[in-house]
Amino acid sequence: MVMDRLRTLGGWLARRAENVLVLMLGAMFAVFILQVVFRYMLNLPIGWTHEISVILWLWIVLFGSAFVTRESEEIRFDIIYGAVGRRARRVMAVVTAAALVVLYTISLPAMADYVSFMKVERTAYLKLPFNWVYAIYLAFAVASIARYLWLGWRAMRGNAPEAFDPTKAGSGV
Amino acid sequence: MTSPFALCILAIVTLSLLGLPIGHAMIASSILYLLLAGQDMSIAAEQLLNGMYTNYVILAVPLFILAAELMNIGSMTERLLLFCNALVGRFRGGLAHVNVVQSLIFAGMSGSAIADAAGTGRMMQAMMTKDGKYPASFAAALTAATAVVGPIIPPSIPMVLYALVSDASIGFLFLAGVVPGVLMAGVQMGIVGLTARRRDFPVEPPIPLRELPCITWRAFPALMMPVVLLGGIYGGATTPTEAAALAAAYALLISAWLYRSVSLRDAYGSLAYSARTTASIGMLIAGALVFNYVVTVENIPESIKILLSGWNLSPIGFLLLVNGILLVLGCMLEGTAILLIVVPVFIPTAKALGIDMVHFGVVVVVNIMLGLITPPYGLLLFIMNTITGVPLRDIVRDCMPFLAAMIAALALITFWPGLSLWLPRLMGYQG
Amino acid sequence: QAKPNLRFSAVFSEQDIRAEMMKRFGEAIKEDFTLQPYFGGNLFKQGTELVAMQRNNLEMGNIAPQDISNQIPEWSIVTSAYLFRDADHLKKVFASDVGSDLKKAAEDKLNIKILGPTYFGARQVGLRPKKKITTPADMAGIKLRMPGGDAWQFLGQSLGANPTPMAYAEVYTGLQSGAIDGQDNPLPNVQNMKFYEVSSQIVLTSHLVGFDLLCVTDRVWKAMSPQKQAAFQAAADAAMDWSAKQHLDKEKELVDFFKKQGLEVYTPDVAAFRDFAQKKYLASDLAKSWKPGMIEKINAL
Ligand code: NA
Ligand code: NA
Repeated sequence: MVMDRLRTLGGWLARRAENVLVLMLGAMFAVFILQVVFRYMLNLPIGWTHEISVILWLWIVLFGSAFVTRESEEIRFDIIYGAVGRRARRVMAVVTAAALVVLYTISLPAMADYVSFMKVERTAYLKLPFNWVYAIYLAFAVASIARYLWLGWRAMRGNAPEAFDPTKAGSGV
Repeated sequence: MTSPFALCILAIVTLSLLGLPIGHAMIASSILYLLLAGQDMSIAAEQLLNGMYTNYVILAVPLFILAAELMNIGSMTERLLLFCNALVGRFRGGLAHVNVVQSLIFAGMSGSAIADAAGTGRMMQAMMTKDGKYPASFAAALTAATAVVGPIIPPSIPMVLYALVSDASIGFLFLAGVVPGVLMAGVQMGIVGLTARRRDFPVEPPIPLRELPCITWRAFPALMMPVVLLGGIYGGATTPTEAAALAAAYALLISAWLYRSVSLRDAYGSLAYSARTTASIGMLIAGALVFNYVVTVENIPESIKILLSGWNLSPIGFLLLVNGILLVLGCMLEGTAILLIVVPVFIPTAKALGIDMVHFGVVVVVNIMLGLITPPYGLLLFIMNTITGVPLRDIVRDCMPFLAAMIAALALITFWPGLSLWLPRLMGYQG
Repeated sequence: QAKPNLRFSAVFSEQDIRAEMMKRFGEAIKEDFTLQPYFGGNLFKQGTELVAMQRNNLEMGNIAPQDISNQIPEWSIVTSAYLFRDADHLKKVFASDVGSDLKKAAEDKLNIKILGPTYFGARQVGLRPKKKITTPADMAGIKLRMPGGDAWQFLGQSLGANPTPMAYAEVYTGLQSGAIDGQDNPLPNVQNMKFYEVSSQIVLTSHLVGFDLLCVTDRVWKAMSPQKQAAFQAAADAAMDWSAKQHLDKEKELVDFFKKQGLEVYTPDVAAFRDFAQKKYLASDLAKSWKPGMIEKINAL
């Protein structure tokens, strides 16, 4: 019962996270068009659009990787991963999850220190303190730790991770 | 090379082989390096965040992905296929030629080979294998081979990534890809022609000439995409980065307004897919930015330059070496990763040898693209295998003649810089 | 005991005069330190060196005054148009009491030691259209590419132009296609980036004396004995003076070079530009953070 409800809640949160991600990409697209229209058609160059689109790009990547991207969509090197059986894949998943969780966790205090240090600088147009803009890294790191703890735990319990799907892999080439 | 660096490389290789996404593998291993070298671990976050924040031109990547997606949701693909069929269907092996021309035109609209194969592969396969016209393995191999042209002709996501690591001008890189891209398509048509005669492929019933204007008109907005794009850049309306947004806007406009084939749900779907893809490529870029700090602080590109200068390579010798290395790596590694991790290491040497950075970019991108159809790791082969169910072995076998012919074309592109640089020079490039 | 390593990161390339300046400096301090330079923004991105130094991840840097003013607003005075007359005036001001005040304000807060200003050329306006420019009124409506950020865009407005931000790497094609009408950079940059190929004229406005500040972290500086500090400073002074002279010679050479390339190169009514710009700056919010009387003191030097 509790697990089911948690799963429903998780699915709902995942869909909302995707909504946010789509909103960010849509906003970035709109801001670009605005920038071209203002400079080329109205001869009124604006600079803050630059800043918004760069912040959005940073957030799309880190927020998206933390909360939206599925395992099957990640770019990975899968000659071995795709070829071995479920058992081997489970062992591999436990090893990589452990490495990621350990390294991301021990570096987390240093990362938090840097992000909070960045309060000394502000963005050029909107004057946003950089510690806010860069805080998304901390969300990304914490979410990655949580995600890989879960993946590792699931692999230990006996669930092999999803196989790789080339038609879904988000490669840009 | 220090021992923390050696351990960092070992960690990247091991974690990637064990299946950790490459972006995470690079970030985690770089953190390990900083820890072992006694440096501030927060440098990893610093490099990732500042690198992403200050590389404005990289924003073209998500926008080109979006443009390709918006192209795919409209009925544009069908209209294009009709147009290609009217154009080359009447020759022996007509549908095979259609496949080549379709990819060439698609290349002018999209910056990604994956988008071409994934977007049109299913439809192309159904058309070609209907009533047993073409062997399924040949059709699948052909779709994979023709998709290679996608990022050689502008727009091109790999060229944007190359511009990121080399500081070469995106505008000129785009122009430089046009002739080599057409050359590659020509070479493919040559192979199709030879095979068609040998295996006696069918001819499509010729489309009456009076229908041609109508078919062309229906495909016209799609055909205009490269004109809009390069016109935007060279007509002074947009920077190359903004041109990516213009391309997406144009795709949306013709799909939604002219072809009236886009629902809100479709539009949301393409935005969502593009955003997910952006996040996963972005992670790779982020990882490469962090790892690049490690490589730089260890002076690796400089060391390679010194090592190679000891060999007294001529520019051509160096280019051949790079071709060899990239083709071998392409058999094993993902293209974006090669571009972001391996190519930067060669750039100081290429500059020192006086190799034109735009020409070098074309050579590099063609190599990366050929890597998509070289086994064991060839993303286009995998896609066609997944879409069609044809065994990988058979696709690979039928792909080989195309691969060989395109490697010959690559040699021509390598030895003859003028082939790439003619068009940029015409538009004022001094190099 | 091994010599301490001094990592130095800069955005200029290995072929730049300033790279040679750093090699000379490294040679002069090699008894006590190993200078390890990284060029082309390869180690730390442009504008991020200051924070890297504050966090002791970088020992030396050539820091833009704009980056300092981002953290210490009163420094925006040295980023304003027509403050310094030339390289000589720049050096004099930083050697004076005013300079000491400014340096102290930065050093106390940023944990760095400022060794001095490194001149890299006066910023001039390069244009694609042939329109003759005499006064700021002639700049009206001209889309002048300026670096991103309010402070830079304001500098463009203080020239009477219509400033537009654009990535440095896109400026060449921007000029070629007419997306922008012009750019403002020191002449050596105009040559490096080949902007002259896509321009018809260079207006010698000399509106901003371009300089960075050669800095070393407090941690390194305070670990030195007073004699070592003096020797370190003397080595920096010699290298900076050499570099300034090289840049001045280069600027003279380049005026002839651009003329040979068929460009119009001429001096506008600089007094009119100065008046217009200084009025704009004094009326702006930026001037509120300036120490009273400082501008007069600088003008008097
Ligand atoms: Na095709
Ligand atoms: Na393309």
